[in-house]
Amino acid sequence: MIGQQSDYPRENMELNKAEQRKNIEKFIRRMPSLSTTVGKVMEICSRTDASPNELNKVISLDPVLTGQVLKLINSAYYSLVNKVTSLTRAITMLGMNTVKNIALSTAIIRTVSSAKRSKALPTAKFWAHSIGAGVSAKLLGELKGFSPMEREELFLAGLLHDLGKVPFGDEYIEVLNFARWEQRPLIEMERELMGIDHEEVGLMIAEKWKLNKVITGCISSHHDVDRLEGEIGQQIALVSLGNIYANILDHGYAGDPFPAEENIERLLDFVDLSMKDFGSIGNSVGDEIHRAEMFLQI
Amino acid sequence: MKVRFWGVRGSIPSPGMITRKYGGNTACVELRVGQDERLIIIDAGSGIRTLGNALMATDLLNGPIKTDIFLSHTHWDHIMGYPFFTPIYVPTTEVKIYGPVSFEDDPLEAVVGGQMKYRYFPVNVGELSSNIEFIRLKEDPLIDLGDDLQLSTKLLNHPITSLGYRFEYNGKVVCTCYDTEPFRNLFITDPSDPDYDEAMALEGDEVAIEQNMVVEEFFAGADLLIHDAQYTQEEYAARINWGHTSIEYAIAAANRAGVKKLALFHHDPDRTDDQLDQLALQYCGSGKSGETEVFFAREGMVVDLT
Repeated sequence: MIGQQSDYPRENMELNKAEQRKNIEKFIRRMPSLSTTVGKVMEICSRTDASPNELNKVISLDPVLTGQVLKLINSAYYSLVNKVTSLTRAITMLGMNTVKNIALSTAIIRTVSSAKRSKALPTAKFWAHSIGAGVSAKLLGELKGFSPMEREELFLAGLLHDLGKVPFGDEYIEVLNFARWEQRPLIEMERELMGIDHEEVGLMIAEKWKLNKVITGCISSHHDVDRLEGEIGQQIALVSLGNIYANILDHGYAGDPFPAEENIERLLDFVDLSMKDFGSIGNSVGDEIHRAEMFLQI
Repeated sequence: MKVRFWGVRGSIPSPGMITRKYGGNTACVELRVGQDERLIIIDAGSGIRTLGNALMATDLLNGPIKTDIFLSHTHWDHIMGYPFFTPIYVPTTEVKIYGPVSFEDDPLEAVVGGQMKYRYFPVNVGELSSNIEFIRLKEDPLIDLGDDLQLSTKLLNHPITSLGYRFEYNGKVVCTCYDTEPFRNLFITDPSDPDYDEAMALEGDEVAIEQNMVVEEFFAGADLLIHDAQYTQEEYAARINWGHTSIEYAIAAANRAGVKKLALFHHDPDRTDDQLDQLALQYCGSGKSGETEVFFAREGMVVDLT
């Protein structure tokens, strides 16, 4: 079946792989480093025991983020009668959790947008896919008895797992076309046509931004079914499953409509969940996605 | 406007000999407006069951039951009576259910209607043949409910989104302010704490004071204020952040805001009739505190403001 459609004009893709890699490395070098505040916001917001003082401090260190958070709080979505003019006020009136969630989502969206290079993947659909993966990973984590903090980390890792696709230029459109045309997993096409894949690129960004070990692992290895081990392997496997789930669900689009579905069983074995467990999150996924999207204002 | 209390308890129903005077049902207040006695219900705690039965015996004889139910919030004690509110099983009934949901939560319909699933209850929400509409509320300075009845809502301070209601009709005001606790400074105020930040500590104080004033303005001049008063001040000290107010605070706030009648509400489930009588003697023995008439709300009690 794959061979039948190979008349897609492959000569368009005669890219110099060495050059491709060089371009991407150059792009990442020029990318701004993750502001310390965003890193700290990510750390504090995924902790359940953070104090109001810590939260307030970490957000206010970044005036742009502070402005974005207040703008959201004063949006029609919250529809507060009195304008909220400071973080102290926001935390007092709306509570820690609301402010934490807003800050975290704002910081992440801003961070990823700063790395975006081409229009190959439409932003809204890309986010919808990432949210789907994050939500599914979180729900699977719940089945595994992960703590609320660990589940938040899974959500975050799911949101960021495709970070490595973001710096690809317009030539990526061709790679996406090939993956669809030949009905093959996107990562294989990336390797074949560009000589570099979104896991490797993602790892470069994660290292540059000093993201934590779990999130880095999920970004750099969510397709590496064979190399998973230890506790972090469990978390990566859950994000891999979340990613496949979002693809099957066809929620959003991150260029991979034909993921390696044969990996599902191996991943489920590895995390000791059944196919029935995998299907069981279906009831909640839709609601959770809806909720997360409302919150992220996608 | 006329108010009747069908449930005055907080947290969980507390039936028994030691609560029979004040009643053991959780929050439910009936508000009748105007000459045609338009029916407004505030909260669907376990008290709504007996209200529903009364409506079946009286109102239904005069035609289909039509009502607006306002939920202060969706904690269990304020919604648990909903499946037992008999009028929702009568096909001609029209109910609009208004209330807040926390921002990241499911829609109101799922939160309240979700109680009617086979795992909890023998009737599924989809089997109801009456006309039920759910409307999500946020803070709003003015909602016109028609027939000269106006409503404003105020965001209170509770672990989930909780709204106070202010109903105005023909120059009279009925206000609810529960479940809530006074806003307070959440930030570190001890200068010796390594995380202490003076500006934050000062602003935290300022915001708490200001927000409490906003709440008092919300119920200022009310003819009747129904206020959270679950604890005594002494008990409250060990229950900060639980989302409830002390009797002392509620009385002082109502005084400051020029409230005419204050109904202390949402009694702790462990509070016995004797204890409530004792507290009534202590806090409102004369029936008044300052210019405000103060009493502990009791199941079956009627307050006529006409």
